[in-house]
Amino acid sequence: MSASAFTATLIERIELGPHVFVLRLGGCEALAGTQPGQFVMMRGDWGRDPLLPRAFSLLAVLPGGEVTVLIKAAGRGTALCERAAPGARFSVLGPLGRAFPAPSADRHDLLVAGGVGLAPILMQADAAALAGHAARCEIVYGARTVADLVLRDACEARTRTHYSTDDGSLGTPGRVTEPLAARLRAIAATGAPPPTLLVCGPNPMMAAVRTLAREHGAPCWVSLEGEMACGYGVCLGCAVAAAPGAPGAAERPYRYVCKDGPVFPAEHVEW
Amino acid sequence: MVSPDGAAPAAVDLGVSYAGMSLKNPILTASGTFGYGQELEGLLDVASLGGLCTKGISPARRSGNPSPRICETASGMINSIGLENVGVDGFLDAKLPYLAGLTRAGSSVWVNFFGTDFDGYVECARRLAEGVAARGGGVSALEMNISCPNVHAGGLEFGTDPAVARKLVRACKDTLDAAGSPLRLLVKLTPNITDVVALARAVADGGADGITLINTLSAMAIDARKRRPRIATIFGGLSGPAIKPVALRMVYQVHRARVPIPICGIGGITSGEDAAEFLLAGASCVQVGTQSFAEPGAAARVLAELTAFCRETRVARVADLIGALDTGDTRPPACIT
Ligand SMILES: Cc1cc2nc3c(=O)[nH]c(=O)nc-3n(C[C@H](O)[C@H](O)[C@H](O)COP(=O)(O)O)c2cc1C
Ligand code: FES
Repeated sequence: MSASAFTATLIERIELGPHVFVLRLGGCEALAGTQPGQFVMMRGDWGRDPLLPRAFSLLAVLPGGEVTVLIKAAGRGTALCERAAPGARFSVLGPLGRAFPAPSADRHDLLVAGGVGLAPILMQADAAALAGHAARCEIVYGARTVADLVLRDACEARTRTHYSTDDGSLGTPGRVTEPLAARLRAIAATGAPPPTLLVCGPNPMMAAVRTLAREHGAPCWVSLEGEMACGYGVCLGCAVAAAPGAPGAAERPYRYVCKDGPVFPAEHVEW
Repeated sequence: MVSPDGAAPAAVDLGVSYAGMSLKNPILTASGTFGYGQELEGLLDVASLGGLCTKGISPARRSGNPSPRICETASGMINSIGLENVGVDGFLDAKLPYLAGLTRAGSSVWVNFFGTDFDGYVECARRLAEGVAARGGGVSALEMNISCPNVHAGGLEFGTDPAVARKLVRACKDTLDAAGSPLRLLVKLTPNITDVVALARAVADGGADGITLINTLSAMAIDARKRRPRIATIFGGLSGPAIKPVALRMVYQVHRARVPIPICGIGGITSGEDAAEFLLAGASCVQVGTQSFAEPGAAARVLAELTAFCRETRVARVADLIGALDTGDTRPPACIT
């Protein structure tokens, strides 16, 4: 599915937690076929500074040409998004990039989210539920503190959800790898094959999850964040190093987050 | 020129001639910001543009620098992509067929190229000229990027020494002539010098058909909290609206010095009025760069806005804007409004 460039209108901004919010955008008919893990490049009507659009994974595609994105205000562009009022216009380019593997009755998936990395994870859970595979996936969701664990109702409405918080305010205390390791051990104890891990969150968190996946022989897919200027393959800014063992690593030492990803097999890239 | 009766022209003549080529309009896209053109299909009507300039091609393919390669700065960005490209053979096999189609549709296709040493430049020009000719054409000009570090001169950019630049341009020009190539040789200058006019004269002496101005400005950015440079190579090239005043100044200096070859202006163009400013400063055509990242359709919008600008200001031929800057002694209008 090829990307379109169009103008969307902010319908509503929904405050979810400290500097965490959802933008509900209208006029996004072109994004109807977006798959979980695909993203858009978005920029408000804010003049020439900041110059570049921001990349966001979609949270959901809604009826009526609407979509939602989940944002944590962490810099100049996202802070401007946080201040946007209904009616604000955004130029949007999408859908872009490669999605997570589609939900399948042949796999058991652990969907692992860190903070606002939840967006494509929740969309994947949604797709699984829609395809009748809700029982074949679980969400493992970690954040600093309970206030950052946004959209818990939405997670639980779709499938079994396990939480962790760094400060122990909800779920297993510690990193998301704690409840994840527990689930991997429990699944191994039943004699079932290792589940597939689909992961989105901060880079160090995804690296820790990859280590766990290796220990358990679990296939692992990660959704990377790159430094993106364009999102459509022309700036070559979003390079990540191919892992030495990745197919074609000798001829192609770099992969592009926007074109080859953002979803990669964890063993194919270094980050 | 204001049309004599003072009425808005019915249609604006957008054509310009540049370095012996006729462009259907003066808006092109800049090297490294538009891929090889095909990536933009479906996002804008590429063939409606005056032309495009490809990503810089080197004799062999290159895979570029480690990440992070880019960072955003005030009204701009810094990049250190490392001149990653598909190489001459990859270009001829995979990219030329699409570009030849654009040429047939009346757009001007320029191939940006470079080498990492003197012979590399000459080899690249020769193989591109021969390869394009052997495949029946499809390219109008080679745009030589002399802002590359010379590996045999401690990484100093080729384009910083007028004598070296003259010699390099002459060698490439002779190679094209020897091959009987119809390709124009355009030379893209670095702004990282004190005397742009001396450099412009040198490349004109060397036989260049046109001058492209400017490439990115050498720059850096720092993350103070982490005490780290923001890009892996520490230094990179600044582009975007932040550099437009510098680019305009250089275009105007070269124009005013009556260097005998025409200028293609680049640097921070985001609107039709920006393009008009470059034409007034003396550029015959312009390239839109970084703005295409923010907005893939930027160049087409700039063209539409330039057309509207001409209509509004009663300019019947866009070529009448070229070098038409009025530096008369009346007080300039207020600009902090
Ligand atoms: C990511 C990036 C890659 C570039 N690659 C090239 C290149 O391969 N060859 C070249 O001559 N210029 C290259 N440039 C420079 C641009 O063509 C242009 O001269 C410069 O960005 C200034 O224009 P702008 O402010 O409109 O972007 C590149 C610029 C950027 C931002
Ligand atoms: S973001 Fe520009 S190439 Fe990937």
